[in-house]
Amino acid sequence: MSRSIERQLHLIDFTVGSILRRKGKNGALLLVYTLVIFVLASVLFFTRSLRAEAAAVLKNAPDIIVQRTLTGRYQFIPMGYADSLRTIRGVASIAPRLWGYYYDGGFGANYTLMVPNDSTVQPGTIEIGSGIARLRNIRVGDIVPLIGHDGNPQTYTVARILDNGSALVSADLLLMAAADYRSLSGIPDSFATDLVLTVRNPKEFPTIAEKITRLLPDTRPIVKNEILRTYDAVFNWRAGIILLLFTVVILAFFIFSFDKATGLSAEERKEIGILKAIGWETGDVLAMKFWEGIALSLMAFLAGAILAYVHVFFGSGFLFAPILKGWSTLYPSFSLAAHINAGDLAALFFLSVVPYTIATIAPAWRVAVIDPDAVMR
Amino acid sequence: MIDIRNVSKVFNAGRPNEFTAIAGVSLHLTLREATILKGPSGSGKTTLLSLIGCMTRPTSGRIFVDNREITSLPERFLTGIRRSTFGFIFQRFNLLRGFTALENVIAPALPEGEKYSSLKKRAINILGMLDLDNRYDAKAEWLSGGEAQRVAIARALINNPSIVIADEPTAHLDEKLSGEFIAIMEILKKEGKTIIIASHDPLVYESTLTDRIVEIRHGEVVGEPARP
Repeated sequence: MSRSIERQLHLIDFTVGSILRRKGKNGALLLVYTLVIFVLASVLFFTRSLRAEAAAVLKNAPDIIVQRTLTGRYQFIPMGYADSLRTIRGVASIAPRLWGYYYDGGFGANYTLMVPNDSTVQPGTIEIGSGIARLRNIRVGDIVPLIGHDGNPQTYTVARILDNGSALVSADLLLMAAADYRSLSGIPDSFATDLVLTVRNPKEFPTIAEKITRLLPDTRPIVKNEILRTYDAVFNWRAGIILLLFTVVILAFFIFSFDKATGLSAEERKEIGILKAIGWETGDVLAMKFWEGIALSLMAFLAGAILAYVHVFFGSGFLFAPILKGWSTLYPSFSLAAHINAGDLAALFFLSVVPYTIATIAPAWRVAVIDPDAVMR
Repeated sequence: MIDIRNVSKVFNAGRPNEFTAIAGVSLHLTLREATILKGPSGSGKTTLLSLIGCMTRPTSGRIFVDNREITSLPERFLTGIRRSTFGFIFQRFNLLRGFTALENVIAPALPEGEKYSSLKKRAINILGMLDLDNRYDAKAEWLSGGEAQRVAIARALINNPSIVIADEPTAHLDEKLSGEFIAIMEILKKEGKTIIIASHDPLVYESTLTDRIVEIRHGEVVGEPARP
């Protein structure tokens, strides 16, 4: 092994010894630092995952949704409207959708009922999201009763539990056949919840929306771009809160670093003097402090990031969820799918480890450049 | 030969609290001898030791060690000379608290990048020579005064320096421990090392160790009293 590597190993060994013998002070530093990283990493993981969930929602969103309204209130849309819309040039396809909500009084939970377009669900069966399965302790093959619009219970066999790719999307989902949905909800065969359109050219979305309003004045077209804008607005509003949280945490971190930078104790100053007096160069002292900064900040970074991961993806981000999700209750509770961006982690690493390490070296440098004879006095 | 030529050291130059610690000292110290810098507190002994030991630079004048001028060397080279040529024993020993005796002894050699196993072996040998065989894993703060002093001597010897510098080494020791210190220095002198000690303790400058006494007052050499 070369002497320079051996030298660095000696310095690391000495640094570890130095950190360990100030267990109280360094333990407190590590705790505060880990907490700062934990908050920052939690916010990063949480927002990144929420955005990924939103992207998953929008990936398969229809180009235009047509709803019927009566004096501004939502109404079922007649199936015949589809024929009128088909006459508009540029519309590639039209499909009716059947969906709604179901309140499960026994469990105090809301489910999203939906009839899949591809008619994969057999009559008499349902497919449920993982959240419902967990909440009601349901397995495949179990029979689930649901109360219909007329107050009579209807029973369904669970054919499948939906995978957990995006829990936010699928956790409360309950898929059923069209006939079952109509029977449960009481929607006549000639009506649908809304109509969804696909359009060949996205540039024509506004023109087609305008034509829809002109052709069917009692309808309201919702264009995909508008949904995107709404999501964006929601996230921008959340981003403001996150930014505020970020600012406070970063400010706390800099106060903490500044305190560290200016707070070299008399004992530490004396120790640096001794090391210089017994033959350490300024560079050796700085290398030792560099390793000290790296060791502490890396430990805090790893501990903070791991705790944040557990907090966000296993603990459903219970500390921030009420603020960041924007709704106070969600039935049933869900877990965010883990989406971690390497760039975010790298940014967090460079925003935390680097300034802290510099903050550790800077005061040591001020002391280390002083003549070592000060220790003789 | 350590050649000190018209060396001065002024602290806080140009400020109201300017203080001249050493004023135009010229001195020639012979290698492999024990020289005692004698004088009262504040006479400039420690500053002169610091200047000889490359711990600080003179405000004016030059110092040569073995015909090599050390005063104008950059910090890195100066540190290298300090580490390889000089071994320091400080007045209060200045051991690193929280570290073991062994860790304190090997600390000056860490920047050399020597293999840890051979470094440890060497340190244990030196500690054994100073009767500290069973104390090398004791923390610095657990050591008695005499043990701490011997650890400080072991630390000064780890890089096998040719010159050992001690600043008031007996100031905090009783007569017995002072005697032990002088005995160790005599052994080192016999091994061919140069000993330079700043002290106003008669036990030191009247001992058989002493080859030469240089008396310093107010930053100037005022004479060389004969050995008792």
